[in-house]
Amino acid sequence: MPVVDIDPDELRELTGHEEKDDEELKDDLFGLGLEFEGETDDGMFQFEFAPDRLDRLSVEGVARSLRYHYGDARGVYVPNTNDPEWTIEVDESVPDERPFVTGAVVRGVDLDEAALESLIQLQEKLHATMGRGRAKGAIGIHDLAMVKGAPLQEGAEPSITYRGVNPDGDTFVPLDANDELTPNEVLDEHDTGTTYADLVEGLDRYPAIYDELGLFSFPPVINGKRTEVTTGSRELLVELTGTDQWTIDRMCNIICYALSARGATIEAVEVNYADGATHPGEYGAELVRPNLDVDEKSVSHDRIETLLGVDFEPEEVVDCFERAGLDASYTLDEDVTYEVSIPPYRVDVLHPLDLVDDVGRAYGFDNLEPRYPDVGTVGGRHERSRLEDAVRTSLVGLGFEDLLNFHMTSGTENYDRMNVEPGTGGAAIADGETANASAGVFGGGDPVEITEPYSEEYTQLRTWALPSLVMLLERNTHNAYPQDVAEVGFVAERDDAEEANVAESRRVAGAVARRDASYEAAKGRLQALCDDFGAELATPRTEHPSFIEGRAADVEIDGERVGVIGELHPAVLVEHDLEVPVAAFEFELDALR
Amino acid sequence: MRLPERQLAVLEAASATDERTVAEIAAETDLKPETVAGAAFDLADEGLVEVGSATDETLELTDEGRTYVEAGLPETRLYRAGLDAGADAEPVSMGAVIGEAGLDGPEVDIALANFARKGFGSVDGGELSVDPDADPDTDPEATALAALADAGGAGLDADALDVDEAVIDQLDSRGLVAVGESVTRTVRLTDDGVDALMTGVEATETVGALTPELLASGEWRDAEFAEYNVEADAETARGGRKHVLRRTADRVKDVLVGMGFQEMEGPHADADFWINDCLFMPQDHPARTHWDRFALDVDPMEGIPDELMARVEAAHRDGWGVDGDGYHSPWSADFAREVALRGHTTSLSMRYLSGIAGAELGPPQRYFSVEKVYRNDTLDPTHLLEFFQIEGWVMAEDLSVRDLMGTFEEFYRQFGITDIRFKPHYNPYTEPSFELFGEHPETGEEIEIGNSGVFREEVTGPLGVDCDVMAWGLALERLAMLTTGAEDIRDLHGTLADIDFLRNAEVSY
Repeated sequence: MPVVDIDPDELRELTGHEEKDDEELKDDLFGLGLEFEGETDDGMFQFEFAPDRLDRLSVEGVARSLRYHYGDARGVYVPNTNDPEWTIEVDESVPDERPFVTGAVVRGVDLDEAALESLIQLQEKLHATMGRGRAKGAIGIHDLAMVKGAPLQEGAEPSITYRGVNPDGDTFVPLDANDELTPNEVLDEHDTGTTYADLVEGLDRYPAIYDELGLFSFPPVINGKRTEVTTGSRELLVELTGTDQWTIDRMCNIICYALSARGATIEAVEVNYADGATHPGEYGAELVRPNLDVDEKSVSHDRIETLLGVDFEPEEVVDCFERAGLDASYTLDEDVTYEVSIPPYRVDVLHPLDLVDDVGRAYGFDNLEPRYPDVGTVGGRHERSRLEDAVRTSLVGLGFEDLLNFHMTSGTENYDRMNVEPGTGGAAIADGETANASAGVFGGGDPVEITEPYSEEYTQLRTWALPSLVMLLERNTHNAYPQDVAEVGFVAERDDAEEANVAESRRVAGAVARRDASYEAAKGRLQALCDDFGAELATPRTEHPSFIEGRAADVEIDGERVGVIGELHPAVLVEHDLEVPVAAFEFELDALR
Repeated sequence: MRLPERQLAVLEAASATDERTVAEIAAETDLKPETVAGAAFDLADEGLVEVGSATDETLELTDEGRTYVEAGLPETRLYRAGLDAGADAEPVSMGAVIGEAGLDGPEVDIALANFARKGFGSVDGGELSVDPDADPDTDPEATALAALADAGGAGLDADALDVDEAVIDQLDSRGLVAVGESVTRTVRLTDDGVDALMTGVEATETVGALTPELLASGEWRDAEFAEYNVEADAETARGGRKHVLRRTADRVKDVLVGMGFQEMEGPHADADFWINDCLFMPQDHPARTHWDRFALDVDPMEGIPDELMARVEAAHRDGWGVDGDGYHSPWSADFAREVALRGHTTSLSMRYLSGIAGAELGPPQRYFSVEKVYRNDTLDPTHLLEFFQIEGWVMAEDLSVRDLMGTFEEFYRQFGITDIRFKPHYNPYTEPSFELFGEHPETGEEIEIGNSGVFREEVTGPLGVDCDVMAWGLALERLAMLTTGAEDIRDLHGTLADIDFLRNAEVSY
């Protein structure tokens, strides 16, 4: 969840509530869904919140929300935008992988240290959230005084160009550096460059922004030093590039609202996509940005009442909308419907239901009285769940400790340490006529492996349960014997005949570990279990690499081969540091149905 | 006089003139030492013997002590290394000597402290001088250690060893020797005991075990049953027990079935379509990146109905309903078909709501599951890579937030958690959404106990559901830790589990 750092003094100043002490501010923000997480070394309060209201990623946005909360502001607010002077030309050389650009000019800014820090924070937080780590949208903010606009023709407006650059072509001095570097050199040598290199690597041309003096920004990686914003900057050029026009437009709006809240003036820019450049089809090739138009959605009075379970007067609903920073109008017909205006900094209103949530929050969900729904249904367990439960009850009655092991394991544990080879059993060698468990070495099915696992201990799903039981015994050699353990649990193997190409099944596995553990001890218990379920057990001799030769058998239930039973091979015991014999069995749960 | 057999045996083995130890008598009578001791105390109660006890000091080498027997005491090693380096003639730099002596870590301080104490030399300004006249070969501490090791190193009788007590104290304070106690019990006949033996004592004919023969023959009528020490501890009988987490799951299932919920089941390995896309999770959502999910190395799932896939795609791209907006995120059917381990059991809810898991469902319905989910997290005392999620949903015409609150209040009340707080929250798949907070039944602490909400129309619409569905989820382990007091979840769940913990966890019901 996003975290925003806020200077409480700035928040008091921006809300105009100097009288609020720290604790009151924390309480009020908790009411908005911002949870106090702690304080930074330099006294900033950190608040965590759900990633819907990304307009609250800076102190300015949080202050705006608080002013609505306090009732100091009502309804939709849209700052004035002056007509454009600047143009962003989009050249057809812009890489197709990052075709879109937007921006704004901001004049009359007065950036003290705190305001500059807040702006940088907002930029970074937007990168991390909406910008998806700069891949979807990246923001560059420049000192406009240092940009030399190139008029396309005499007397025309100044412009900058978004274009593609040869990775080893033009050079510029990036932020935090002193030398002229090519884009590729930035990726190789500059700290920020190496961090974001994977966003552009492999492209024929890299995204770049030029003015009359040349390359001055290398989005989404780094800006140039020439146009660096300082506390002395009075006029700013904001540009955003990305893979989605709507996303970068909204990010731009959030920045403009934040700067406007500090008294700056927003001035539009023109964005001209050249013939041959990919342009945002739905909006056209010539844009005026920022786009601060309000959105409209309608929602019925009835839906609000049924979803919140409260009877409202229409005026109450409108009041709630306005306190949420929205505007709403309605006509008094039989079915009241609200036309709701949504300000352009909101990124979370995708559906009229989202407006109902805003009404609920403004009304206060705390004020709702819980009620138990008057809906009658019949409850019950599904069959497999009941069967698993009945088998567990029988196993426990036979003296087994019921286990619950991980389903993820490693090939080492699942195969190697049990002396079993992958691909020697199950679906891997089944002929299609017998059940998969009947085929080959029980437990030797092909693994369902995790793509790029992070830990060597968890690289695949277990193909059988017995290795987990033996691992548990290995882990408990310091505890008292006998250790009779069992599990009714999930296993999976690769099987292209299944929907997800994975065959999932449940197994019953038991192990008797004690000084005098024998085949007979395991079979006696298995026999009792089968008797409980009226199942016919036979144990014809078999060979299995985990068990002692001559002391292993197939588990046949009602004539079908469904598992294995035997005394574990001394090599397997020694491998697991076990100093007592272990007799064990495992078979398909479904055989007891 | 009649005495039980074992008391008689002890009485006869005891002597009036010598104190005999329990061990000696046990050897002679072929009884276990604890049986002899028990009989002796019984005889003492009768005044026939006296039971005495003597406490002896026992010595045992510690691990550190054993190490020094092999390697030599650190100060001795330092002395020898110093001597080799010529520190008897003139001071040498300490660093070199320490390395040469093979001293490392805390051994360095140990060596320096004792070096000076024993007068092996001196350290001044980082330079070491050794006294050529010192003789570590006769160092009493080293000699004592060697003597202890020669004698076996454990359970040694201090008196039997020819070691100065002050040296033992010194070794004890250095932690090289552990000093313990052993109690030896002795038995001596009293005058009454001698008299009794003179007069003649017979063994009582007692019956040890009640046998089928005794019962059948009726001999039990004349038999005297040997008395047991009924207060003595018995070895704890171990039966099997259902896993503590399963018991918690059973309880949850009981409660939900009682509230009219049907249980769901479904695949652990599933297409991202069912796990995420149906839930209106944008494909570029951070939770869907490589780092959060367990993608499986198998072929994509082909069997997803095309129409359903098209409706879900439409919801993502263009939104649902007249005023709906989609996400401005990329969407591809290939990604939707990729197979992964489910990160939540909401994939089951999606399958049931879509009708693919069985019948088409119309309102009203209640469904639940308590099943395993997989999250790529760091394994620590409160996080597992695999855990159980309680998932539940209610489908009805016109459900309100108040119904949601009422349902969850009722559910948690069954576990003693009251005064639930509903904190407005955001999930991509529900609106409104609430995090549920409740008071820990014992500590009174406010804890998060679940996440809930009403499924968005972008979720229910494409699935063909045109009424309201409210849902919630919660980790079972969280409930279990509350009810069992477990502090490390790994004690409970998985192959690292401690069997003793499972055996001893208190039964909850």
